[in-house]
Amino acid sequence: MSQKLLDVENLTMKFGGLVAIDNLSFSADKDKITSIIGPNGAGKTTVFNCLTGFYKATAGSMFLNKENERLNLKKFSDFKVAQKAGVARTFQNIRLFPQMSVLENLLVAQHNKLMDASGFTILGLFNSPSFVKKEKEAIEISKYWLDIIGLTHRADDDAGDLPYGDQRKLEIVRAMCINPHLLCLDEPAAGLNAKESAELNKLLLFIKNEKKTGILLIEHDMSVVMEISDHVVVLNYGKKIFQGSSKETKNSPEVIEAYLGTEE
Amino acid sequence: MEKKFFQTSIKDSLFTGLIALALFGPIVGLRTVAKNEVLEVHPKWFIVLIIVIVCAVGRFLTNLYIYNRDQKTGIQSSIGKSISNFLDTKGYQIALTAIIFSVIFPFLPFTDRYLMDIAIMMLTYIMLGWGLNIVIGLAGLLDLGYVAFYAVGAYSYALFAIHFGWSFWICLPIAGIFAAMFGVLLGFPVLRLRGDYLAIVTLAFGEMIRILLLNWYQLTKGPDGLTGIPRPSFFGLPFKSFPDEGEQTFHTFFGIEYDPMQRIIFLYYLILVLALITNLFTIKIRRLPIGRAWEALREDEIACKSLGVNPRNTKLTAFAIGAMFGGFAGSFFATRQAFISPESFTFIESAIIVAIVVLGGMGSQTGVVLATVFLIGLIEVFRDFESYRMIAFGGAMVLIMIFRPRGILATRKPTITLEKSSSK
Ligand SMILES: Nc1ncnc2c1ncn2[C@@H]1O[C@H](COP(=O)(O)OP(=O)(O)OP(=O)(O)O)[C@@H](O)[C@H]1O
Ligand SMILES: [Mg+2]
Repeated sequence: MSQKLLDVENLTMKFGGLVAIDNLSFSADKDKITSIIGPNGAGKTTVFNCLTGFYKATAGSMFLNKENERLNLKKFSDFKVAQKAGVARTFQNIRLFPQMSVLENLLVAQHNKLMDASGFTILGLFNSPSFVKKEKEAIEISKYWLDIIGLTHRADDDAGDLPYGDQRKLEIVRAMCINPHLLCLDEPAAGLNAKESAELNKLLLFIKNEKKTGILLIEHDMSVVMEISDHVVVLNYGKKIFQGSSKETKNSPEVIEAYLGTEE
Repeated sequence: MEKKFFQTSIKDSLFTGLIALALFGPIVGLRTVAKNEVLEVHPKWFIVLIIVIVCAVGRFLTNLYIYNRDQKTGIQSSIGKSISNFLDTKGYQIALTAIIFSVIFPFLPFTDRYLMDIAIMMLTYIMLGWGLNIVIGLAGLLDLGYVAFYAVGAYSYALFAIHFGWSFWICLPIAGIFAAMFGVLLGFPVLRLRGDYLAIVTLAFGEMIRILLLNWYQLTKGPDGLTGIPRPSFFGLPFKSFPDEGEQTFHTFFGIEYDPMQRIIFLYYLILVLALITNLFTIKIRRLPIGRAWEALREDEIACKSLGVNPRNTKLTAFAIGAMFGGFAGSFFATRQAFISPESFTFIESAIIVAIVVLGGMGSQTGVVLATVFLIGLIEVFRDFESYRMIAFGGAMVLIMIFRPRGILATRKPTITLEKSSSK
């Protein structure tokens, strides 16, 4: 069996007396979509916050396996998870830079690379050719992604002025601009209509198949989950209650009970 | 509907009158006079009555004409709109005109010593405004202690110039570096703070520096201040009416009559160049990755972290670079005054600079100029009516906040556009 991209082992996160994640283990494959589902408050977002360094996990370990190294994600604090380990994420409530243009949003995502090219600003001040070239490349990359989500014509508008669905898509491609190994999406389909939802599915499949990026997906919209995920992890009260393919999940009595028991 | 609006307006104005009474009653109405070594109270209720009526009626009128959104005849919707439009679309032309005007200003027929002094002072504030704009406008860090860096720049310039006798062009960068170091020093403890908390700590920092300058007598001469700071020279040629034996001065070198205005004009161009350098630098750096990161940090720090942008370094560079320009301006201040003391670096200076940045429109370079001309000009116009100055100042701010709540020039232009960069 090929090596997993992400290994989460015995992860536990406590807030005071509240156990938000309880001894959770799961793994995610490279070029596969792994969905994390569960009722409200199950601890899904908290898993992301631990993975991406926003919270310090109480116990357990998280490893990211690249071609020839195994990175312990616990060692990285917030921004370094993105910068050094290549784990990108989006947020449950969209976090764009609303007063900056769409293109600028994508350029900020390529900050570290551009910062190096600008010689920590000094070369950049004098328009050094190497910097100008790198900046052009970065614009090309941005344009590539904008073409994919069909927003090229709005590149110079403020991100905050985009319709809701477009903002969601922009946040996803912005995360892709850091060139991640693992992309964590927190409820990307929330608030989308059926058409937008279908476009989102296409985008995620494209990222998985063409970009060979592993995707970790939190989602309430079951049509999205069932249609595109390769593997599903079900959480309830911080515990993993089930894992398997989407079909297995749909028919699992534990899962049905968890949902019916708490939500309806 | 109409009647209800009328009623609430009247209620509101009566309430305003009450507030005015509570405020002005004790302040204006009760005047104490010392008579035969005892204090007597001389009430002046008539004046208070007039003030209260003016406030109440004024409130009623503004309610009717300005805040009444249904009524399209309001001032806001006509004059305000056209001014807004003009400012939004003509920013570039305004800037160009201003630069040309400031270059020829010293040689205009009506320009005299007094106007030159004001112009120099305005340019100093403009430069400070542009420097602080990096910290507040771009990086979104509300810094109320900016005058501290102005002070550090002035004092380090003065100390190096006095004790080592180094020239302006050597001391200037040193002062800038010192100020930048203090910027980092302030930056570290406030990295995790935002908004109000940040404002309070930076305010305290500004006061700390001033108190340090007051009390470190051996180095700063405390409240006595530093005197005898060398005047700047024109590339080694001093401005002196009576040169020493065999000394070349500005007027002997160019073979012209000595005129004290020569030094003033030189100082004017010096601060103009320094300010324009600050401006060019800011315009350029805004388009570099670091500048974009500053703005992104202002918009959403958490999103920045998720994209791998290092918030610590990004904030510290903003503090350091902003402080550096404050330091440059401080050096200029020191050499122009030839005397500095902690008195010049009080909180009110910080407040004025912040007001300039905020009223100008966060992040807008031209806005800083307009706000400076407006505020400093106003202070000057009211110089003879000492006690009304602050009222005028406050009134002006209120007006700007009513008509342009996001600052005089509030539109932000993207730092890069796909259209332009792909047609290149
Ligand atoms: N910073 C925090 N401090 C205290 N408790 C927290 C914190 N973050 C999350 N929690 C708690 O942890 C539990 C899990 O929250 P989490 O946000 O991970 O749920 P979720 O599965 O993402 O839910 P939803 O579907 O509503 O987004 C909740 O009970 C929440 O109140
Ligand atoms: Mg959540």
